[in-house]
Amino acid sequence: MNDSGGYKRDAIRVGLLWLALVVVLEVVWFSVEILPRQYAEEARIIDDAFNLLTILGIPVFSFVVAMLIYAALRFRSGGDASQDGPPIKTSTPVVVTWLVVTTALAVFILINPGLVGLAELRANPDADLVIEVEGQRWQWVATYPNGAEVRDELVLPVDTRIKFEVTSVDILHSFWVPGFRTKIDAVPGLTTSVYATPTELGSFAEDSALRLQCAELCGIGHARMVMPVRVVEKAEFQAWMADQLTAEAPAAEGRG
Amino acid sequence: MALSAGAAHERAEALSRPRANRLGLWLFFASETFLFAAFISARFVSSGTYKPEELNQPLALFLTVVLLGSSISAYLAETSIAHGNRQGLIRYLSITILLGLAFLVGVGFEFKEAIEYFPPETIYGSNFLALIGLHGFHVFTGVVALAVVLRLGTKGHFEPDDYWGVEGVVKYWHFVDLAWVVIFPTLYLF
Amino acid sequence: MRPLIRAVVLGLVGYVAGAWLTVAVRGGSPSDDVAVTFGFILGLIGWLMGIGVWNAWAREWFGLPAKPDQATGWQRYLTFNTDHKVIGVQYLVTFITVLLLGGFMALIMRWELANPGQDFLDPDTYNKLMSMHGILMIATAVAGILGAFGNYLVPLMIGARDMAFPRVNAMSFWLIPPVAIGLLSAPLLGSFDSGWTAYPPLSVVNEGGQVLFILAVITFGLSSILGGLNIVTTVATMRAPGMSWGRLPIFVWAAFAASVLSLLITQFFAASLILILLDRAAGTTFFLAEGGGDALLYQHLFWFYSHPAVYIMVLPAFGVMLEIITHLARKPLFAYKVVVAGFWGIVGLSVAVWAHHMFTSGMAESLHAPFMALTEAISIPTGLVFLGALGTLWQGRLQSKTPLWLAFGWLFNFTIGGITGIYLADVATDIHLQDTYFVVAHFHYTIVGGTIFALIAGSYFWFPKITGRMYHERLGKIFAVWLTVGFNLVFIPLFWVGINGMNRRIADYPEFFAGPNAFASVAAYILGAGFLLYAGNLLWSARRGPAADPNPWGARTLEWQLPSPPPEHNFPLLPEVVGHPYDYGIPGSVHVAPMTPEGGEEA
Ligand code: HEM
Ligand SMILES: [Cu+2]
Ligand SMILES: [Cu+2]
Repeated sequence: MNDSGGYKRDAIRVGLLWLALVVVLEVVWFSVEILPRQYAEEARIIDDAFNLLTILGIPVFSFVVAMLIYAALRFRSGGDASQDGPPIKTSTPVVVTWLVVTTALAVFILINPGLVGLAELRANPDADLVIEVEGQRWQWVATYPNGAEVRDELVLPVDTRIKFEVTSVDILHSFWVPGFRTKIDAVPGLTTSVYATPTELGSFAEDSALRLQCAELCGIGHARMVMPVRVVEKAEFQAWMADQLTAEAPAAEGRG
Repeated sequence: MALSAGAAHERAEALSRPRANRLGLWLFFASETFLFAAFISARFVSSGTYKPEELNQPLALFLTVVLLGSSISAYLAETSIAHGNRQGLIRYLSITILLGLAFLVGVGFEFKEAIEYFPPETIYGSNFLALIGLHGFHVFTGVVALAVVLRLGTKGHFEPDDYWGVEGVVKYWHFVDLAWVVIFPTLYLF
Repeated sequence: MRPLIRAVVLGLVGYVAGAWLTVAVRGGSPSDDVAVTFGFILGLIGWLMGIGVWNAWAREWFGLPAKPDQATGWQRYLTFNTDHKVIGVQYLVTFITVLLLGGFMALIMRWELANPGQDFLDPDTYNKLMSMHGILMIATAVAGILGAFGNYLVPLMIGARDMAFPRVNAMSFWLIPPVAIGLLSAPLLGSFDSGWTAYPPLSVVNEGGQVLFILAVITFGLSSILGGLNIVTTVATMRAPGMSWGRLPIFVWAAFAASVLSLLITQFFAASLILILLDRAAGTTFFLAEGGGDALLYQHLFWFYSHPAVYIMVLPAFGVMLEIITHLARKPLFAYKVVVAGFWGIVGLSVAVWAHHMFTSGMAESLHAPFMALTEAISIPTGLVFLGALGTLWQGRLQSKTPLWLAFGWLFNFTIGGITGIYLADVATDIHLQDTYFVVAHFHYTIVGGTIFALIAGSYFWFPKITGRMYHERLGKIFAVWLTVGFNLVFIPLFWVGINGMNRRIADYPEFFAGPNAFASVAAYILGAGFLLYAGNLLWSARRGPAADPNPWGARTLEWQLPSPPPEHNFPLLPEVVGHPYDYGIPGSVHVAPMTPEGGEEA
């Protein structure tokens, strides 16, 4: 029963099944659009990492699935519980190959996208614009360089490296703009920071990925702790920011 | 037939019982070590090695000596019963309990004093309260366990070849002492 | 019934006395945090004494003879019974019930989530329901397999007559009902809305139900620690003659490894919750910035427990599934020693990866790369478990039975769970995915797809052993398919919504996510309905099913060599182990010497 001919035949068939699955799934992955639209440079870096992990994950997933399908179809016994399979207790070449392949994969993804992605995200500690963002139950307050405090919409200039300095006045919140893929917790007593470099114009009204969403459970208003985000041209941004100082500041005080 | 096999079982079990008891106790200590480690790491993570000037160093040192002394008397209690000396068991257990109580009173006094200088609303005060409380609770349970064993001892329990109750409680007492030997520098020296 | 009534009464008396005494001493209200704490502690003591700790145990501390409550038949299950098989069944029934209860809560949540906007749950109620669901399910995953099969099978598999500490074992179980009562009565004090993770400062400033959460979970931790201690000691000291470490059934290895972890690290969960309790009730400032505290400290302490905890959940599941696969593929467990090494690799690494939950928490950035590396490294020992499973299936003589069908579903799910874990271990992708539905989908694939599947598969596989009757095979297979398909239909869309910007723990979401959510909700109801098939099959078969052969699978491990259900004290004669448990197909191989009177006497 455990003649090596049968073994080889099975191995080749599973291999072919695996290849077929890999091809199909990779083709599917390259032809569907699953990730949300990229509105920032950071989104590109993170999506590249996501893509690479998927490309590498598909063969692993396919291998297990191929083995399962093949086993279910080919290794079923007639139901006679006394008939045993071949007594293969272990196989050093298989174990070694397995260890080498899984270790190589782990090292590979640690380097790329792991460390490479990290390096790309942290490549540039400078920022053209710094915005302070404060979380509180249950709203966001953004303070622009000119001192304008804004609560109802986060307006940002395109093609500008922006640093958000985030904190909280009460409990944990988290600063997240899905369109930028950037996230950092707002921690009371601590200032955390995150960068985003918007590359596309757009607004929350057109795409819900452009919203500053609280991502850390903070009680009743957590789900709706949202600030719409709008990315505009640089000039428009400057004008808007100046406007905020004159028009919005007294109004914000009245509301506070 | 089944009976005799059952007897074989009983024999095997009688052999494995002390091993199981000891291992169980050591595992319990290992587990408790993690509890203390969590509190101690909380102290260093949240307040670094900061310590206030007002700590009563002489008192703490004195209490350390008291507790270490109680470990010696606990040890003597155990060796007493191992040699069939019930009088010694009772005497040394009583001394251990008294020293344990003295430690608790001293720590209570120190705590009352300390809470004035660094109340729980400060981060060092929080750590002080948590560590002293955690350890004090262990000393308290140790004293209670010693008292139970003492009572059983006066009633004639335990023999030179069967004194697991004494051994277990004395080991626990050593463990609690050892914990203090780590907590004392954590709070007072660093 | 008497002990149970006594326990309830004494528990209530204890609670009232504790709360009342606190009020008498320091004033305040009987529902404030301090009073509830002391009430709970005294109530717990009352409960334990009532159920049988006093009679069967504590009397000895006062020099009185122990007099355990005697009960027979089904009433044994309601007493402080020290038979490990009774305790295993107590755990199994309790946690399947909790699983169904938690599942019911999930269905209520999916009803609300079926459409965007607020339907019938206000956000506050939603958060509280979500938190309750989370902690009940986590408890099931942590204690279900270890409690049920760990207790039932470990002594049988190693040829022991009971656990090393039978009374400690009974206490581990009887600590569980107060946990359930504490959690489920939290709504009386305003419930808790901080999720199962209970992050401060929210968990310090929210309503009083949080205190019951803290106390219940610490009690649960105590139960886990005692249970773990028992399993480790039992395996280390009570193995039958010839049962060397190299011959331990794989489930015993898995339960042993998980128990070592559980015994040690559970203390960190207890510690982190105690610190929250102190912040709430004793005026300390561990997690409050105003007094110099640090909210991130909690996350470090908590995840130092809770990451290894996921392996406490899944290691026993590995054990269950590898048993099933080996026996039903009728082949030796492939690379047995390598798999065991994989278990220990997991145990070792699992305590060094916790901060992968904190990549967006604001912790020092220098910690990101090391924790990413260690987390990705853990996929190597985890891979060895897959090697064992797939290698065993390879060229096997697969018996087409429900547990094996579930094992196939399990391998499929857990592959998805493991691969998506890599996206979360990678700092770049995790920055986007952390706290989204992608994480929700990932951990449901690992915990439901991994652990709960194993709990269910095990409940079929050992059903004939436990009850002496056979379940209905065809209904079992229908359920296996239903469960696997239904589960995947619910959670696949949730990956998509997470990637596209739906955060977790919300009762409402942007219109954009309406479609997949509606789909997941419908699928959830289909999945939920499937459990009627499960409960129906097992309940009916337990009473009316055909009598089962003592060894219907022709399996080699020790538990199958006994009558079903095994008699009290398991082995009338001491078994002698002479070979490896999984030598299927090797002519002349034996695991246990025939249990003859001579065999018994020799030992
Ligand atoms: C190769 C295996 C695995 C890897 C690499 C992995 C990785 C991760 C990472 C990095 C996170 C944090 C996600 C985040 O919050 O951003 C996470 C979350 C989680 N994982 Fe896994 N995981 C693996 C296996 C498992 C297993 C086996 C279980 C359980 C049986 C599990 C249960 C969980 C749970 C419960 C959470 C979410 C905790 C929460 O925030 O509530 N994971 N996983
Ligand atoms: Cu929030
Ligand atoms: Cu983790």
